[in-house]
Amino acid sequence: MEPVFWILIALVVILLFYAISKRNGIVRSENQVANAWSQIDVQLQRRGELIPNLVETVKGYAAHEKGVFAAVSDARAAMVSAKGPAEKMKASNALTATLGRLFAIAEAYPELKANTNFLQLQDELSHTENKVAFARQAYNDAVTYFNNAITVFPGSLFRGGRSKKEQLAVPEASKAVPKVSFA
Amino acid sequence: MALALPLAEQVRRNKSATVRLFVLVFLILGGLVFSVSLYLQVPLVPALVLALVIGAIYLMISSASSVPAILAAARARPANPEVREEKLLMYAVEEMAVAGGITPVPKVYVQEDEDINAFATGRNYKEAIVCVTTGALKSLSNEELQGVIGHEMSHIRNQDIKVTTYAIALIGLIALLAEIVLRSMFFGGGRRSNSKEGGGNGLLLIIALAFIILAPIISRLVYFAISRKREYLADASGAELTRNPEGLASALEKIAATQPTPNRGDRTVAALYLDNPFRRGHRASAFSTHPPIQDRIARLRGKA
Repeated sequence: MEPVFWILIALVVILLFYAISKRNGIVRSENQVANAWSQIDVQLQRRGELIPNLVETVKGYAAHEKGVFAAVSDARAAMVSAKGPAEKMKASNALTATLGRLFAIAEAYPELKANTNFLQLQDELSHTENKVAFARQAYNDAVTYFNNAITVFPGSLFRGGRSKKEQLAVPEASKAVPKVSFA
Repeated sequence: MALALPLAEQVRRNKSATVRLFVLVFLILGGLVFSVSLYLQVPLVPALVLALVIGAIYLMISSASSVPAILAAARARPANPEVREEKLLMYAVEEMAVAGGITPVPKVYVQEDEDINAFATGRNYKEAIVCVTTGALKSLSNEELQGVIGHEMSHIRNQDIKVTTYAIALIGLIALLAEIVLRSMFFGGGRRSNSKEGGGNGLLLIIALAFIILAPIISRLVYFAISRKREYLADASGAELTRNPEGLASALEKIAATQPTPNRGDRTVAALYLDNPFRRGHRASAFSTHPPIQDRIARLRGKA
């Protein structure tokens, strides 16, 4: 056989392996994005579970603040029913704002602030909010990585019809540093 | 801000660095066996096979027992969620695990110690442990604690805990082997013949003996060099996780301001800590496990 022939065969095989590994890399990074989203989803769900307890506890001390309770439970319901990453995160940010109002009320009730149950709920809620922020950060990193993988040459040759994914917006208030305040 | 790589990608990249380290340590081990076989005039192949078998058994035993041994030496206990300080620590670890995409969340331990310090250990990121001293819980703010946990989480993400576990075992093996040979020579053991050797062979023997004596030190130096490099890496990638380099920088500043109290714990695992709990180096040295702390702070603040 001609040596040229064998060199060509070898070249084709090498190219094939290269293409496969590039393609696998893209698929892996796409899975990574899906996984990162499910991490956020878990935290949002946990957050939704904590809120009724918190509202009940605050009600025990400040029953007449009905407007805030209604706003919180509306925002919570909106978050639970929201579909898709962008919409869900938007609802979650709205919920954060109303929760801020609930905690502001708590400031006016020293007995409530001394309630251990309330304190624990407050700790856990701010912990869950931190986790949402960090999970969003991980999600955005995964999205950036995926977008790079499918747009930068030569990976872009193997994208197979995948399109760029959207980053999750960071709410203005928490843009600087994921806040870690345990009042 | 640099992009934090997804965990799977990070793990893949660090594997090659790990492989290089172990090739180097294995070369030292191989050189040691070669020197010993030359010195004791044992045929090389059986010596290598014997060393391989003993080494494999030793590695399996020591890597399986190293994590409990490290925890016992530090007198670490699982964090108590009933205590608010420790509950908040568990929260901080969970948050950093989310940021780093590490599942399951590492176990949280507490070491009763006045010193401000922390370490990560475990055989891999699936069985990882983060341990923080009570001194750190008392003295550090939430932001600083988060910076520290970010650093430790990076050791887990970067596979440093695994590397360290195996590297410690290998270095222990090299030290053990060298000591056995040196001792057996002192007490007249071994099969060293007293017949005259050729000049070239004599020189080779001297080199072999030198290697036997030096191998434990060389392997340690290699390990320390890797450890220092990985500390910088963990600082940087920890800051990527928290998006807040100042937290860790100010925690390190607090550490720099204190002197380590005479410490419990196992000296071989000093490299696992946030900063060396036995010796606080302020100058760069080939024998330090950690880079100078002021240098780390400067790098975190972008001033190096």
